[in-house]
Amino acid sequence: MFSSLAMAQAPPFNAHDLSGVWQFAPGGGGQGPGDNFPPLTAWGKARYDANKPGYGPKAAPGGNDPILKCDPMGVPRLLFAIWPFEFIHIPGRILMFFEGQHTIREIWMDGRKLPEDPDPRWYGYSVGRWDGDTLVVETTGFNEKTWLGAQGQPHSDEMRTTERYRRVDRNTIDFKLTIDDPKTYTKTWEAEPRVIKARTGVEIPESFCVASEEEEFNRRIRAPAARQNGKE
Amino acid sequence: MRIRSLTLLMTALFLCASAFAHHGNSAYDEQARVPIKGTVTEFVWTNPHSQIYLDVKDKNGSIVHWSIETNSPGILTRAGWTRRSLKPGDEVTIILCPAKNGAPVAYIGSGDPGTKVIFSDGRELDFKDKTAQ
Repeated sequence: MFSSLAMAQAPPFNAHDLSGVWQFAPGGGGQGPGDNFPPLTAWGKARYDANKPGYGPKAAPGGNDPILKCDPMGVPRLLFAIWPFEFIHIPGRILMFFEGQHTIREIWMDGRKLPEDPDPRWYGYSVGRWDGDTLVVETTGFNEKTWLGAQGQPHSDEMRTTERYRRVDRNTIDFKLTIDDPKTYTKTWEAEPRVIKARTGVEIPESFCVASEEEEFNRRIRAPAARQNGKE
Repeated sequence: MRIRSLTLLMTALFLCASAFAHHGNSAYDEQARVPIKGTVTEFVWTNPHSQIYLDVKDKNGSIVHWSIETNSPGILTRAGWTRRSLKPGDEVTIILCPAKNGAPVAYIGSGDPGTKVIFSDGRELDFKDKTAQ
């Protein structure tokens, strides 16, 4: 009785309208698609060995995470960051406006195909479609400069990703990610499913990562915190 | 002096027992929650890392300059902070995660519950998201 009343009073939602501010709930792979990735190829292992992250099983102070210089985080990494993002529907496209690095990513919804030979980009080239109530976003055309997560997982310019967003109630989207990158991983990587929660009322502030400011932060805090024995 | 150090250590251990530390931020000891008392010299409200600089008297009476990393203005705003929350001259105690290398550098923020700023009048600034539903 109570539950049917509660259901009757639950505010309606349109599964095909994701407009609003959202944020990945903590859990799963943390700030990335997870540490449990498929076996690496020789090329992938060399890349992974060269990456020195501040998080995950390889974590060490200092390191060479590209975002320490405010390089664009790219997708999928930016999805998993600790900041909210907004879905904006406009004719022919869905935009994702991220608080992290104050970045807009566009997803073409006009039926076009993925380009055959795209220029490599930090965010790749994304097309989306509705499969029932699931928004399916396919992306190709990545450069090789980003990491997949804060744990230093590598990828190549052959990577293709498929994201699936299914709004299951007014405040919740179920998220799945598939990473196909045969140059880096010996098998398709199905990342741990994640949950995205509505952040109703949150406004996304100006939040650029500014290289000159980050350089100053590195000089005053990050470098002294990473020095051996705390000495110069 | 030895007693004071012991008290500080025990406080840290007690706080650590109840603290939930997230995985990462490898330069800092995220299992520790250490109280440091001092005078704010600078509050930098910058994305993606705000910063607090603090003058702290050590056991010999010398001033040690502490540098403390914290969250982005977006996260701090949602936790109820503003760019005016701290100003030079404020006397505060900060419960922090110190750098593992012993340098006077530390982290406080949303990833490490229990880290916070306590003013001399008892007011507190923490990292709990006040907009969360």
